[in-house]
Amino acid sequence: MAEIEAEPPTVQIDAHRDSAGAHVVVLSGELDSSNADLLKERLASIPTQPAQRLIFDLTGLRFMDSAGIAVLIGVAAKASSVSIRNPSPIIRRVLTTTGLDNVFSIES
Amino acid sequence: MCDMNSGTVTASTTGARHDLAAEPPVAEGAVSTARPSGSLWRWRPSWVAVAALLTGLIVTGALALTSAAVYNRNERRLLNLRVRELSLVLAATAPSIQTPLASAAELADATGGNAQKFHAFIAPYVGPGRQFTSVSLWPLGTTHLVPSTVLGSAPVLASMPERAKQFFTHATRPGVLNLTSFLSSSRPALGFDFIAPGRAHGFAVYAENPLPASRRSKLEKNSAFSDLNYALYLGRSHRTSDMLLTSLKRLPIMGRQASDIVPFGAGVFTIVVSPNGSLGGTFFEHLPWIIALAGLLVSLAAAVMTDRLASRRQRAEQLAGILDRVAAENRQMYTEQRSIAQTLQHALLPERLPEFDGLQVGARYVPAASGIDVGGDWYDVVTAGDGQVLVMIGDVSGHGLRAATTMASLRHAALAYATQDPSPACVLAQLSDFVNSGDHDYFATMLCALIDVGAHRLTVASAGHMPPLLIDGADGQFVEFDANVPIGVVRTSPYLQRTLSVGPDATLVAFTDGLVERRGEVLDVGLARLREAATNAALGLEDLLSELAHSLTSEDHHDDTAIVGIRWQR
Repeated sequence: MAEIEAEPPTVQIDAHRDSAGAHVVVLSGELDSSNADLLKERLASIPTQPAQRLIFDLTGLRFMDSAGIAVLIGVAAKASSVSIRNPSPIIRRVLTTTGLDNVFSIES
Repeated sequence: MCDMNSGTVTASTTGARHDLAAEPPVAEGAVSTARPSGSLWRWRPSWVAVAALLTGLIVTGALALTSAAVYNRNERRLLNLRVRELSLVLAATAPSIQTPLASAAELADATGGNAQKFHAFIAPYVGPGRQFTSVSLWPLGTTHLVPSTVLGSAPVLASMPERAKQFFTHATRPGVLNLTSFLSSSRPALGFDFIAPGRAHGFAVYAENPLPASRRSKLEKNSAFSDLNYALYLGRSHRTSDMLLTSLKRLPIMGRQASDIVPFGAGVFTIVVSPNGSLGGTFFEHLPWIIALAGLLVSLAAAVMTDRLASRRQRAEQLAGILDRVAAENRQMYTEQRSIAQTLQHALLPERLPEFDGLQVGARYVPAASGIDVGGDWYDVVTAGDGQVLVMIGDVSGHGLRAATTMASLRHAALAYATQDPSPACVLAQLSDFVNSGDHDYFATMLCALIDVGAHRLTVASAGHMPPLLIDGADGQFVEFDANVPIGVVRTSPYLQRTLSVGPDATLVAFTDGLVERRGEVLDVGLARLREAATNAALGLEDLLSELAHSLTSEDHHDDTAIVGIRWQR
């Protein structure tokens, strides 16, 4: 019940292109099933081409559940490479448990 | 079977939703009819407003009556004061009448009734505009009483010898002013006489003043007593026949009045007065009415205000009642949908696990503490031939019907692949190919363990799933692998499997992430918690699973949890 009454977690999404032409998506807050669709919509608006690099900067992200991981996996198929930058130890552990550290390149 | 079940459940869900959704508009209608309409005719004041009006009227009435009583008491008091004042003023005129008559009587006695001296003394007091209309000197001691000297008009008394005799011999006291009146005469008049005290009583001085025929004599407007009506009587009488003067057309005096006895020489007057208007001022006279009118207006205003407040409060209470009902309906809907979700979940999971020789199996499914979504967790334990048992557990990302139906199709596909080849890596690889061949936006983690019961051996492969806990004796270890990607993720390498030999009474606990994952906590902390809980308790398999399901899922756990346990039996 406490989960329902508490403030829903929020995620901030900020997207830009870096000097190398890669799309950088900066996520902060908490990403879970309640707001993963926001990220999905936002990523759909980014015109990724198959040859393009996509970088998720998770420096400010405190929590990510399987719904969030599903979104990352969803875009992984569309970009040539997907990197995850600065995941917290908690998120990094989730990525290694699910074997996704083999799918995404993880940058510290 | 599962599809049919889910179809039936969905239909009843929409049915329930329809019934409940139809309720609130009826309640809204009730509010709008209860709202007071603008027409005054339909106005039904609330009982509080009526009570406020009544209270206001009672208070107003009490105040007005009190004010009227105070006013009346004041008027009475003032009137008593005024009649007293008037009486004193009247009494004070006695010496101005007595003194000249007494002096003249003394002179007449001293001069033996010398007419010339009497005339000279009294003349200034007699005539129009002076003190007396008529003054006469009467020698006493004769049988036939007549005045010896008369100044002014002829006295009425002189025409009534019997009356004169009676008056001078019996009714007159020497040394004081005596009064008499001729009220029934054609020339009504008031007479005064004085006989000098002592010695011989030789002469009486008699003065007479006429009274108006109508007896009416208004007080002058600028007089100190112009605010009073009066009636003056001779003696102590209140009879109209004894009335000397009055300011009124009609007698007796009605209404509020006061009277006083005025001593005047040997006799008395009685004076009766009534107020001409209000003695204390018109404001105080009107004050009770002002209070009544103002009180009435205030009471009405208060009643209207109270009624408005009361109707607002009533509306607020109605709204609160509706909100309560809606909240109760929502709770009911929530409970129903949660129960529907759990029914569906159980329909999607194996109804009963098969039994095996030499191997105990058990499973638990703990739905999320709140929410109405079905989860994407599943498990299966099936026989795989040659004394082998295949344990599968998985978790589709996300929640809801989509995750649940995806889970159902994965579960059945996995069962189908397992009948072809129960090798864990093979089942995972085939399932992965199956999912990746179509368009999809989910992923699923999955663990397959093929148990060789007789050989005490198990072969495990994982698609990104939580490592299972192997309890062998007192030792509990998670079975680690080279991580392989989840189902639904394009894989670049084949799924790997690992075979382990275990002790005679080893236990394997496979689970989904809800059992160990906590927000804000590294996964290893949750894994350590599980290992400690599982190895410290020397429990039977069923009790162990119940204990884990109970103690490791908190009251607010947000994820579904599936647990499968197997234990070799000697």
